[in-house]
Amino acid sequence: MLEAIDLTKNYGTPVPSLDQLNLRIEPGEVFCLLGPNGAGKTTTISLFLGFSAPTAGIARIGSLDVQTHPLETKRLVAYIPEQVMLYRNLTGLENLEYFSALAGQDRYGKEELLGFFDGVGLSREAALRRVGTYSKGMRQKVGIAMAVAKRATALLLDEPTSGLDPKASNEFSQLLLRLSGAGVAVLMATHDLFRAKEAGTRVGIMKAGRLLTTARTADLTHADLERLYLESMAAGIPDGSPLEEVAL
Amino acid sequence: MITRIARKEFTEMVRDGRFRVAAALVMALLVAALAAGWKHHVDSTAQRLTAERITRAQWLNQGARNPHSAAHYGVWAFRPQSPLASIDPGIEKYVGTAVWLEAHRQNEFRYKPASDATAAARFGELTAAVVLQLLLPLVIVLLSFGAFAAERDNGTLRQLLSLGVSRSDLALGKALGVASALAVLLVPATALGIAALALSAGTSGWGDGPLRLWLMGLGYLLYFGAFVGLSIAVSARARSAQLALVVLVGFWIVNGLVAPRAVADLARGAFPGPSSFAFTQAVREDITRGADGHNSSDKRLDDLKAAVLKKYGVKRVEDLPVNFDALSLQAGEDYGNTVYDKHYTRLWDTYRNQNAVHQWGAAVAPLLAVRSLSMGLAGSDFEQHRHFATAAENHRRLINRIANEEMLKTEYNNWNDEVPAETWAKFPEFRYGPPGVDWVLGQYLPSIGLMLAWCVLATAAAYWATGRLRPS
Amino acid sequence: MFLTVVRHEWRQMSAGKILWPVAVLFALLVGYGVWNGLHWVHFQQQTLEAVAQEETGRIAKMRAGVVEAWATGAITDPSEPDPRSAGFLGTRAARNATLPPGSLAALAIGQSDLYPYYFRVTMANKVSFTNNDELENPTNQMAGHFDLAFVVVYLYPLFILALSYNLLSAERDEGTLAMLMSQPLALGTLVLAKIAARGAVVVALAAGFSLLAVLLSDAGLSEAQVWLRLALWITLLVAYGGFWFALAIAVGALGKSSATNALALVGLWLVMALVIPALVNVAVTAADPMPSRLELIAAARQATLEADKESKARLGQYHKDHPELVPKGSGYNVADSYVKYVLSLDTEEKRLAPILDRFDEQLARQQASVAQLRFLSPALLAAEALNDLAGTGVERFRHFGRQVDGHHRAWRGYFLPRLFAKANLSAAELDRAPRYTFFEEDTAAVAARTFPVLAGLVLPTLLLGAFGLVGLRRFPLIA
Repeated sequence: MLEAIDLTKNYGTPVPSLDQLNLRIEPGEVFCLLGPNGAGKTTTISLFLGFSAPTAGIARIGSLDVQTHPLETKRLVAYIPEQVMLYRNLTGLENLEYFSALAGQDRYGKEELLGFFDGVGLSREAALRRVGTYSKGMRQKVGIAMAVAKRATALLLDEPTSGLDPKASNEFSQLLLRLSGAGVAVLMATHDLFRAKEAGTRVGIMKAGRLLTTARTADLTHADLERLYLESMAAGIPDGSPLEEVAL
Repeated sequence: MITRIARKEFTEMVRDGRFRVAAALVMALLVAALAAGWKHHVDSTAQRLTAERITRAQWLNQGARNPHSAAHYGVWAFRPQSPLASIDPGIEKYVGTAVWLEAHRQNEFRYKPASDATAAARFGELTAAVVLQLLLPLVIVLLSFGAFAAERDNGTLRQLLSLGVSRSDLALGKALGVASALAVLLVPATALGIAALALSAGTSGWGDGPLRLWLMGLGYLLYFGAFVGLSIAVSARARSAQLALVVLVGFWIVNGLVAPRAVADLARGAFPGPSSFAFTQAVREDITRGADGHNSSDKRLDDLKAAVLKKYGVKRVEDLPVNFDALSLQAGEDYGNTVYDKHYTRLWDTYRNQNAVHQWGAAVAPLLAVRSLSMGLAGSDFEQHRHFATAAENHRRLINRIANEEMLKTEYNNWNDEVPAETWAKFPEFRYGPPGVDWVLGQYLPSIGLMLAWCVLATAAAYWATGRLRPS
Repeated sequence: MFLTVVRHEWRQMSAGKILWPVAVLFALLVGYGVWNGLHWVHFQQQTLEAVAQEETGRIAKMRAGVVEAWATGAITDPSEPDPRSAGFLGTRAARNATLPPGSLAALAIGQSDLYPYYFRVTMANKVSFTNNDELENPTNQMAGHFDLAFVVVYLYPLFILALSYNLLSAERDEGTLAMLMSQPLALGTLVLAKIAARGAVVVALAAGFSLLAVLLSDAGLSEAQVWLRLALWITLLVAYGGFWFALAIAVGALGKSSATNALALVGLWLVMALVIPALVNVAVTAADPMPSRLELIAAARQATLEADKESKARLGQYHKDHPELVPKGSGYNVADSYVKYVLSLDTEEKRLAPILDRFDEQLARQQASVAQLRFLSPALLAAEALNDLAGTGVERFRHFGRQVDGHHRAWRGYFLPRLFAKANLSAAELDRAPRYTFFEEDTAAVAARTFPVLAGLVLPTLLLGAFGLVGLRRFPLIA
């Protein structure tokens, strides 16, 4: 379970990067944050990870405050950035072993670890190769494998599918659905409306640090979602700050 | 085009806080080092002149005395310091400037300043030479490691190359930019140095001082040029600014720290010198095999005696018209001189060979070339020390010869017999003229060649590397 | 958790391109340093052996001369020295006071190439036998020795900095830092684990080679003092290395790029290893300048002239007291000349004492200032302490000097009364002449001198480490 209560982050700019975000993501939900660059999506994820401290408000994972329990909350959460960066000199297996051990799961045998690779559709041959040779799609899959191995109950994704080809992107969505099916709460920041509709259970549209609208994906068609997004961008600019280009 | 690039580079550097800090630090150290060197030069010259005057007066005022006793009292030779030694004191700290010229014995120089200093002095001395040889190359690295690498990291390099700028213009422009930033640093210090040296010109007997200074400046310019060329070459080829920096700093460390010491130990291993004990023993051994004025049982003395008696046609040395002691003393000196010549030539040639290893080490580290040259031109190197030591030794032999000639006039076997007080004025004062620039340069041909080679190769490397610039 | 990271760092480093070349290079440099140190110790030992051999042969010859002279009767020619006389034996049968290389001498050459390590202590004044410098090419001396201490003081920090300047910035550039920090891992733990992994490599290399050098230099390993010194040496290595690691942490915590970190660290190294020692040197010599040696020469010449006259006068007094000893005729008397020689040198020394003392005083003052100011530069601090532990620092030479003085006093005490009495010595009397034995410096005293140095290294290490770990809280995790 992920929860933000009046979560605010101001880096000292006139407009806060994140302005009183209130959000609750239950186990099994996939919440997609939509919005242009600079809307506050990455800031939200950084706050949940404790990479930066909120100016006001609380970010909770499970029932724990990220600020007061930095290490405990990280045990519960897995993070997949736009590029899952791994140690290029180590094999996929060695990377998975290391990150799992850091996550506190240091009892896995080799077979179990290879099982995680099977689970995300990576060949065992690939698992024994150095990560330096991996494609981006393969790295993102290792990211999912890490989340599974960690037994995370919450998942934070920062534009995980940007730059992936449609097939890899689709495979990634499938893996995500499997995780949420297993009761993981997922927060995904993305530009990809299509992916949000396919993989998400709810969407939220952000602009200039504010969460403007949320909706259930089941209630929307692709066209509805696109219209909703464009309307949000055009109207209701809270403070008249200029908008950046919307990347679709 | 080139000047425009150079101007942009220069503006960027001067605006860079890192350059300002480094430049201010190096400049302050250079000025402080020059000032300290200058003060040392002025003080030591004054001290030398005073000591020369006093010891000469003492020599002249010995009063009536036995000439051989006076020869044992001996005289001191003090080495005049070149004004340029205030820039590069070279080996001065490890040899001292005073040598005692006495009867029978060629002495080592006395009172190494290093023995009179704390261990901290061994650690690092602040001299202009150290600043120029060690610190300035680091400033050059700092100024130029990013010449291309930083533009590559920032992505401006692609843009720059898309404008159709010729790559050699780019290289030359960047090099000029670094050079002008260096000039900001060096010109005031150089002017200061020249002004100070001009004040002392002519007073020291170093008539070719200005020529030596220009050549020294030229040597340093070649050295800096080599560093600028290398830095630009590395910057053009390195994948990132960080890598360029690491490679260049690594080279700087090898050049300035590792190579000089490694080469010293290599030289010692290749041409081992004797211990002081072994050297003294060997000299003593050789001398006792021959005639010594105090050793009347020796065969050489017998031979001399026989020859002299035969020459004067007398039976006993007491009947000789001259003091036989004087003849035997001079024979002892003559024999000793051949022994000392043999051993000192061997010792000093060993050191010369060792120093040649230092010079050829410049194939790895250009510092070794510029250091040898700089010391040579400053007159503070080993070869000029040897030149002075040889002159002093010749003076010692002269003093002893005159003393023994005076000794002829004294009574045989009466070592208390005295010659009048005026005698001492017959002994000339020691005057030393340092060797000319051509002589000095002749000692350092390997260094000169290698320094030129470094500069040419580094420039070529810079051109080659900018010709094969990686845009990203 | 900590060990997991250490293990991982190990694997990372051994898989990467940096560690092995750096470690091999470092091992080569350290090995070369050790080899040079061993070579120098060997040279000194050989010289001391030759010195001892010469002494044994010479004294045996003198003794035989004494025995023969007593058997054949007195020498009649006064211009020939009597081989039994105190004057003859007190100078020619003099024994050497020697300083054997210490047990750790191969590790640091220090000042041992500058100060004499043996003296033939005669009954004449000290100045007459202390001008005994080892012969060495001054160009080599200027360059300095490539010994282990040099590698430790200058290069070891650079290797440490090379391995740790981009501790976090490299992972941030690679993007792995964010991945790491999304795990339940504190940044401080990560940094300390990384340092531990790197520290183990460099410290193990430096300490291992130190041990090897001591083993190879056949120092008496059975002695506890050798182990104690070695333990202190290694502690010093760890403390000194710790300082540079702490510096790398502190600079790294500011969150700048790898290139900026590298520049800043090289700059700090330069300031601490080269600039501050040079400035300390300038400050010390400016505050307490050495008197001029040339003035000393002029004064000594004057003293020689005067002492010469005076000793003639004193000899005249002596002859008045002993009319039977006044030489017949005008001839030269060797026995008198010995007395005259010793007397004139003593008078000279007495006259010069105030000037000579000034040199000693100024040097002592300079050394006292250095002892304070060295705390400004960890490199200077470590260098002095390493030399001290190796027995090639100033302290052990002073300790030796005191023993030389002791032996000199004993020798003079034995021979001077006999010289003035113009006595002849029997072989048994010659055998009873004072012997010199070197007593090693008290290890406890060495240890006591090392502790402030350790404190001087550990304290800034802790401060820098604390500053770094606090600063890490604001470390930007994402580029």
